[in-house]
Amino acid sequence: MKNRVRELREAHGWSQGVLAEHLDVSRQTVNAIENGKYDPSLPLAFKLARLFRQRIESMFEPDEGR
Amino acid sequence: MTRVSRRKYNVQVLTIMAVYVALMLLEWPLVGKTHELALRTALALLPAVPVVVVIALMARRVMRGDELEQRMYLIALSVATGAVSVISVVGGFLVLARVWHVGGEILFWIFPMLCFIYSIAWIFAVRRTTGVWNFWGC
Repeated sequence: MKNRVRELREAHGWSQGVLAEHLDVSRQTVNAIENGKYDPSLPLAFKLARLFRQRIESMFEPDEGR
Repeated sequence: MTRVSRRKYNVQVLTIMAVYVALMLLEWPLVGKTHELALRTALALLPAVPVVVVIALMARRVMRGDELEQRMYLIALSVATGAVSVISVVGGFLVLARVWHVGGEILFWIFPMLCFIYSIAWIFAVRRTTGVWNFWGC
């Protein structure tokens, strides 16, 4: 799954640690999501979308061929 | 539920394990010298208390982890449980067949072995999931 989490976080001027605090997850989890190593659960994806005031489908996009 | 900070968890575990070591050094020698059964039993079981507390702290940390942390804890715990089970069964058969001669003291090693394998498995689970080597978070 591709996502725009890094782009949106940087646009807000937040570090991974700050975003992790907003989401109540570890920095490691934010890093894994940004790098596409981990796809968040629906509740966490909605939390991200709400935080960045985005629609969920504009933040996450399936990888081609998967 | 608030997440448990790694530093706080490490300090708590290290403190309790220091209590465990102190008990083993100071209290354990008294067990052999105590003849009254109830007191002897109490002294023998006393070092188990800090171990139970550490297990409770581990459980709390897992329960309060985020979804990715819980997934990695689960992977590591599954690997450790599987490995220790296989080792126990193989060891048990070897003892029954009188190929391997060990006493009940071997049971002491189950928990440390579980913790050791869990730690290694956790490091690899984190590496696989996040691409980062993390040696201090488990």
